[in-house]
Amino acid sequence: MKKYTLITLVGLTILALAFGINAVLAAPEPVPASQASVLHPDFALLDANGVNVLESNGAVSTIQTCGQCHDTEFIVSHAFHSDLGLNAYNGNSETLNSSSGLFGEWDPMTYRFLSPAGDERLDLSTAEWLMLNGARIVGGGPAETSRNGKDLTNLSPNKADPETAILNEDSSVSAWQWDESGTMEMNCFLCHLETPNNEARVEAIQSGEFGNATTATLLGLNIVSEADGAWSYNTEAFNAETGELKNDLLGIQDPTNQNCAACHGEVHATEEPLTFNACDLDYPQTATTGQVVSAQSINDSGVNLANKNELDRSWDVHAERQLQCTDCHYALNNPSHASELQSSNPEHLVYDPRSLEIGEYLERPDHNFARGESAQFNVAPEYKGTMRRCENCHDASKGHADWLPYIDTHMEALACETCHIPQMYAPAIQSYDWTVITTDGSAVENCRGIEGTPNDVTSLVTGYEPVLLNRTNVDGDTMLAPYNLITSFYWVYDDASGNARPVRQIDLEAVYLENGKYAADIVTAFDANGDSQLSSDELTIDSSAKEEAVKAKLTALGLDNVRIEGMVQPYSINHNVTKGEYAVNDCKACHGADSRVAQSIKLADSAPVMPVFDGNNNVNGTGEIVKGEDGALYYQPAPANDKMYVFGSSRVNWIDWFGALAFAGSLLGVIGHGTMRMFAARKQPKGAVRTERVYMYEPYRRFWHWLQTFTIVLLLFTGLIIHRADIFGAFSFRGIVTVHNVLGIILVINAALSLFYHITTDKIREFIPHPYGFFDDAIVQAKYYINGIFKGEGHPFEKLPTSRMNPIQKATYFAILNVLLPLQIITGVLMWAVQKWPEIAGGLPFLAPFHSLVAWLFGTFIVVHVYMTTTGATPLEAMRAMVTGYEEVEKHEPHEEAKKVKKEKK
Amino acid sequence: MKKRFPSWTLGLVGILLLILVPVLYFLPRAQAKNDPASYIPEKPVHVDHTDIVQGEFKTGQDVTRACLECHEDAAAQMMATTHWTWESKEFNVPWRDEPVTIGKANQINNFCIGSQGNEVTCTSCHAGYGWEQGRETQQANPENVDCLACHADMGVYGKSKYGNPAESVDLLAAARSVRTPTRENCGKCHFDGGGGNGVKHGDLDESLYFPSESLDVHMGGENDMQCVDCHWTEDHQILGRMVADNYTIDPKEQVSCEECHINQQHEDERINTHLASVACQTCHVPALALEDPTKITWDWSQAGQEGREDDHFTYLKIKGEFVYDKDFAPTYLWFNGNNEYRYILGDPLGKDGVTYINKPAGSIDDQNAKIFPFKLHVAKQPYDVKNNYLLQPVTSGEGGFWTTFDWNSAFELAQEKIGLDYSGEYGFATTYMYWPTTHMVQPANEALQCESCHGENGRMDWEVLGYPGDPIEWGGR
Repeated sequence: MKKYTLITLVGLTILALAFGINAVLAAPEPVPASQASVLHPDFALLDANGVNVLESNGAVSTIQTCGQCHDTEFIVSHAFHSDLGLNAYNGNSETLNSSSGLFGEWDPMTYRFLSPAGDERLDLSTAEWLMLNGARIVGGGPAETSRNGKDLTNLSPNKADPETAILNEDSSVSAWQWDESGTMEMNCFLCHLETPNNEARVEAIQSGEFGNATTATLLGLNIVSEADGAWSYNTEAFNAETGELKNDLLGIQDPTNQNCAACHGEVHATEEPLTFNACDLDYPQTATTGQVVSAQSINDSGVNLANKNELDRSWDVHAERQLQCTDCHYALNNPSHASELQSSNPEHLVYDPRSLEIGEYLERPDHNFARGESAQFNVAPEYKGTMRRCENCHDASKGHADWLPYIDTHMEALACETCHIPQMYAPAIQSYDWTVITTDGSAVENCRGIEGTPNDVTSLVTGYEPVLLNRTNVDGDTMLAPYNLITSFYWVYDDASGNARPVRQIDLEAVYLENGKYAADIVTAFDANGDSQLSSDELTIDSSAKEEAVKAKLTALGLDNVRIEGMVQPYSINHNVTKGEYAVNDCKACHGADSRVAQSIKLADSAPVMPVFDGNNNVNGTGEIVKGEDGALYYQPAPANDKMYVFGSSRVNWIDWFGALAFAGSLLGVIGHGTMRMFAARKQPKGAVRTERVYMYEPYRRFWHWLQTFTIVLLLFTGLIIHRADIFGAFSFRGIVTVHNVLGIILVINAALSLFYHITTDKIREFIPHPYGFFDDAIVQAKYYINGIFKGEGHPFEKLPTSRMNPIQKATYFAILNVLLPLQIITGVLMWAVQKWPEIAGGLPFLAPFHSLVAWLFGTFIVVHVYMTTTGATPLEAMRAMVTGYEEVEKHEPHEEAKKVKKEKK
Repeated sequence: MKKRFPSWTLGLVGILLLILVPVLYFLPRAQAKNDPASYIPEKPVHVDHTDIVQGEFKTGQDVTRACLECHEDAAAQMMATTHWTWESKEFNVPWRDEPVTIGKANQINNFCIGSQGNEVTCTSCHAGYGWEQGRETQQANPENVDCLACHADMGVYGKSKYGNPAESVDLLAAARSVRTPTRENCGKCHFDGGGGNGVKHGDLDESLYFPSESLDVHMGGENDMQCVDCHWTEDHQILGRMVADNYTIDPKEQVSCEECHINQQHEDERINTHLASVACQTCHVPALALEDPTKITWDWSQAGQEGREDDHFTYLKIKGEFVYDKDFAPTYLWFNGNNEYRYILGDPLGKDGVTYINKPAGSIDDQNAKIFPFKLHVAKQPYDVKNNYLLQPVTSGEGGFWTTFDWNSAFELAQEKIGLDYSGEYGFATTYMYWPTTHMVQPANEALQCESCHGENGRMDWEVLGYPGDPIEWGGR
């Protein structure tokens, strides 16, 4: 065979193999790679008794099935997704929160209250709690176990016990039969199948068939079907010999974003234009904050979003970069995250090989996942802050090195999200008003970030800017982070034991509704325009008449001390991160007039009562809740209350007023004095004073004086720009800060060299006031300024090259050089050092106003100083002398009084 | 003597310097922008030829003679280019003992197949007149150079049979309109190559006459770039080579993005790490034929059916069946700028049912290769069953297939004209031809994003490209 033929053939064969499959059309359709693990073996589906379901036709038990290889007992006991706060349940009936998790923490939005044992009125029993929250419950924990650790199925039905009762629609209470309903094991399928049937699962839960929930998750996968309440398994799905289920039907996999989305919120991973369910608590993370996890570019989405075309960034840069939820929220003992586990090693140990083997991990994977420190999820607080946060992957000091000054200061004070989640592009819940209800028994809900009704295609989504609040991390650090604030209003009564309880939804319905319509007396009380209908404007408690009407009806139901309460709750925003070019990257966004840091957020359009800021979280609600002129309620952050000082935005009013008064006062003073001198000079004969040309200032004196003049004036000017960036918009904030710092260094060097000069040449003596006779001399000098100067008298003290300053001058300079200048240098240097030591000398909140105060005094000094130079032989003579060195000074016999003083001294 | 400047001015200057120098040194300043648009060549000032050109002109050659009076070297320069010769320089290829040349003049593609024997129509896109004289005579005469094809306003000029001006053309008006070539001049042949708008290239078609910025960021938008802004020209040698008509290409002869985008890095470091293995075009030409559709398959075996209705986009009796597509993802191959193979008349068919007209060179192991987007054109075209090579029919003109609809006579006629033996038995073979795509460049916000290639729904077939899996997880090369 010829050489070329061989090469051609080999080449052709390789290419034909490579492309032959997609032989005809140019662009091969991408085939989505199956995520299912090819490693997972076939396995038998077992029922709760450990019998193959093919034999028993019973419901599938994940604990038994998965437990064939995995330590399911370990997994269930190490899973806060399963526990949901049951372990922390304390049964304390005095508060509304008897746990830190979903099971026991009262949520004013979902409203229904999980009744503790012994409560007067049953609201949510355990069974109904499961039904209500079914879509968000994975099983195990409170779905299997009672509050004191018994199996729910072992409890005997008792309608007096909220664990074995159920509230009927007619307000009566019946017993709940757990042995009939079954309980719910932790449902492994929900998170580990490619396409679990969550709808069927939720339906089973909501109809109270808890025991069927797990098997329902497999419906539609050609494995099992349901007929007449019995399970029927498709034998073709199983290996005939071994009775094992063919694994590829299930598609066992690591949890994907879609799995997490089933309970947490909107996730979108296809090329279809994204649309979402907004303000819908079935998608809680999206509803409460507007977070949407998608790699799609916002302008490619199907959302009717304002200015959409300009939004060419992705919804979430991490989704865009292919990160999965589990990349940050990983199983805590997952060996592929060994580097995090190793972070607690002693310092000398760089690597510790004693970690879990992958096989051991797969047997007992820790299902307590790494988590952050959000305000809204408080279950298993001991795991807060275990997660990979921004700084575990990103080095802010390098990422911002090319533009951001004071990186450490910024990173100390700000969570990355503060700038990198500048805006939410999905609506979020703003307020939930349970003081009134709609005819279907739900609260009046208001959304922010949308014009119109949520999820209506004609509504314009505008998104919203999160409010920035200080939060306290588990390590004690505080930093600003973005939040949504949700305000809830609701009726509360005191039960027989004097414990506050939210008025039950069923009681609200009894008050407001009659046969599915508003009760006649409610219509009478609420109908403002007399059309016998309640419009959405009318459906709010905005008058005491309405309040009293409802209160009377609630009291009639036997409720004591009925009142309206309100609560503002923060919801952390940590997803929907964007990269630098879309982040907040303009200094003046914070260092200016409408500082982002102090930007308020609307809480509610109207408020039946002033709500309180929920303190049951790590957010410092130090701002103010204020009623705007429009009657709406706003939250106004107060950075100063969190010991924050933001240049260009923060200021201490009294210092500015005091400083400005001192400055203006001295200006007025010198103008007055000058005017009087002018008038006085007209009356005085001219040329009476004999002058003499004296070499007053040697070159170095003149040099350091003028250098200091330039730097001080420029420092005052640049400092003013930094202080009031809002009125000096033309200047680059960052550039001015740099100029100010450089000038400060020049000033310090100049002052140091000058000091050195004055000390080494002994000329420093000139500046030191002689204590002996100082006051007498000073009084003489003061008298001259008050009186003699207007009469054309000569200066009481002769100005000589060796002694150029009068006593008042000496005192003034002594104060300036020993007090003001050092103070300004020290505060300035400390403000610079705040980058490294944020708390030094009280931090910026103390140093910055102090620095401003001294700056004002410097400004005042300059006014007086410049004026004083005009008191020489002629008004400009002293200034000329400081330029040329030569001054015409009065050559005269000392003033009479001065002479007298001198004589007396002698 | 009084000093001109008092001595204190020296002090003042010193003080100002002491302040200004450090301030200016430390002042943050914006990085000097490396503006790619500044590399667009400045064109010579246009000389209006209205008063210079006098005429009268009866033939195209008359015009050329007039041009040559002033532009003495122009014809000689032009005749040294492939626009004139329709043939590449000589290449030594491993599958042939003799050096070969490649070009429209002597080789075939998988569109209209070949120009030999079809000069009457094919040469309407040749920058020369007089093909009725026969190739050798035509090529030898400088007066046959068609200056107007590239320099006249295409509103007043057009070409017809044998490369001669169309009869309706007012040659004087055309000659007076001459100027630097515009997209209209180049587009006349390069947008309509293969017999119609957008047939050949997926990235060049008539939509580029008046492009929006979203169609092509260079030709659309404020820069309104012309072809010659990138295809720089010196002595009528135009920068840039068509890989389908060459075997290897010296990078110096090729246009590259880096000519203007010098040291221009992406802000995102992650994107910059792609540059070693991904060509600019791969992300910035995310889809082909954005506005006007392009041909992706051509089945000659269906040509000549009696009674079947003609439709420009699906079937023509003279040409067979086609599929056009628009706004579709390119095919991605490793590409080092050369061909690994180029079909030369007489080469045997491919063994596995596909014959490659050209096959871009490169693999994951080739450090000079990058992943590059191509338009793949798949055809069924005639071959000689006994001789096992592709045939080139005579289609146009007297006795051609388009008149007789008889393949045998078309091949026999070709045997006479080209000298390619025809055994008397023909069939239709599947052929692939790859067209690199580099126009219709999109701005950053329309370029491919991470998830376009990586992750579940990515468009790359990583294993075919030679990776063990998605390099975001398995690592790059």
